[in-house]
Amino acid sequence: MSQQVLWEVVKGNNAFLVKRNGLTLSTDPFNNTGVQTYGNTGFISQNAIGVVPTSGKTNQINNINLVARKSTKFQQVDRKAKNTQSVYASTLAVKHGVHTASRVIRKRFGTSRLGLQKAALRKLVNLNRSNAVRRRNEVAAAKAQKK
Amino acid sequence: MTSVPLVSVFSADDSTKVTAKHIPLPAVFQTPIRPDIVSFVHTNIAKNRRQAHAVNPQAGMQHSAESWGTGRAVARIPRVSGSGTHRSGQAAFGNQCRKGRMSLPIKVWRRWHRRVNIKQKRHAAASAVAATGIVPLVLARGHRISQVPQIPLVVEDKIESYEKTTDALNFLKRFGAFEDVQKVVSTKVVRAGISKQRGKKYRVRKGPLVVYFNENAKLLKAFRNVPGVEVVNVTRLNLLQLAPGGQLGRFVIWTQSAFAHLDKLFGTYRYASVLKDGYQLLRPLLTNPDLARIINSNQVQEKVQPAKTTTVLHEVQKKNPLRNTKAMDRLNPYARKQRAAAIAAIKANTKGTKKIKKNKALKKASRAAFNKVSAALNDATNAAVQEEQDIKVKYFSVQKGAAQAE
Repeated sequence: MSQQVLWEVVKGNNAFLVKRNGLTLSTDPFNNTGVQTYGNTGFISQNAIGVVPTSGKTNQINNINLVARKSTKFQQVDRKAKNTQSVYASTLAVKHGVHTASRVIRKRFGTSRLGLQKAALRKLVNLNRSNAVRRRNEVAAAKAQKK
Repeated sequence: MTSVPLVSVFSADDSTKVTAKHIPLPAVFQTPIRPDIVSFVHTNIAKNRRQAHAVNPQAGMQHSAESWGTGRAVARIPRVSGSGTHRSGQAAFGNQCRKGRMSLPIKVWRRWHRRVNIKQKRHAAASAVAATGIVPLVLARGHRISQVPQIPLVVEDKIESYEKTTDALNFLKRFGAFEDVQKVVSTKVVRAGISKQRGKKYRVRKGPLVVYFNENAKLLKAFRNVPGVEVVNVTRLNLLQLAPGGQLGRFVIWTQSAFAHLDKLFGTYRYASVLKDGYQLLRPLLTNPDLARIINSNQVQEKVQPAKTTTVLHEVQKKNPLRNTKAMDRLNPYARKQRAAAIAAIKANTKGTKKIKKNKALKKASRAAFNKVSAALNDATNAAVQEEQDIKVKYFSVQKGAAQAE
């Protein structure tokens, strides 16, 4: 389904839309900037990547997941795929560090959509930084406990 | 559409098992999405379930109130007749009055229902069905479908024979639809406003819609008590359920026979509908709405002129090449050589000619002549001045003499 057509249906009202204080924001997981605009709205596009903090306790160094929007001919879950799939996205846990994740983002966007690419990378970096703080605190707490 | 999209039918007991691998998608799912038609039809059809109500026609009018007219230092509004009570003399009847009747009291014969053209209703229903097969629209409506194996979700007819609610719940859990039910449960709120005292205590979200085909299906009872879930027969698809609130993209679970029946119900692009007399699916204005793809296609790019590059004409200060040698050299690299050649030529020319000797005698003679001339000029000037003076003196002395004479 074309992104333009979907935008016409969805722009006025959708489950991710948040209008507050004159701002039009979005809680769309595929939107890395948080502002609802045509280009940013990832869930209507075919090739968006959302950088999402993981919910719940996971055994990851980074609590970040990459959620990659996918378009398949018929909207089905691919059970044979290595990463967790849903009808509309495949989720990649950022386990091996930020660099591999950034390569995934860069590869998906290539030379096009630099704005989106940069937004995704920026969010990845920021989430990673906040995770680093958390990890540092955890390590310090563990050390203190040992003593 | 050159190739028809295919859909799998899932086994009711096991969401990983597929009973029928590739069924072609019914043509309804290819209908253009028309939010304008859907919202128009929805706003009108939503009025059809209203029950007539009205205000008591006598309310506020049960007085023999009369206006006191002018001259009594009171407003001219009708006043309650009689005496012996506070109410007497108080204003009555007007909408602005306390205890008066409202302006334009609601009558039972208000036009509560709206009729909508059948074709519009059918187009809206078709569009709404199409929207249930598009994942971003279902997401946009707010359904939780991250665990659902396929959209549109088609399941074998076995679920039509479910009688127990536990079976229904387990089925929903197996197919990832339970997340949507949980959403419904957790967001149940007490309604704001008086309606809560009038039988509408809770505001409950919409969950999955289960569509079945066989009339004797027992699944209605099984799914009845699951919060948020609605069950409907294919032949009675309702726009108010397919696009609640006028918003397209309800999460729908189809049984296999219901899914197959859609072609007969709405028809295809080849054949008009069997069951809706003379109804033909709406054709899209654009068969390929993907503008980006059209613009970047070979057919368009071949005809399109190359992109203009922005040329800035005067980014740097313009230097005049006729006066600025470097600017000239930039334009004409041969200018350097031309210049050198010109200089060489001048030098060559001057080498051959004799030097003109300064003639001293000539100089002296010319100087003498000049002096003579200038002296003569001086004398002449002086003489002229003197002459002028003499005339002046003469004139004035004559005057004096004349005056003296007189």
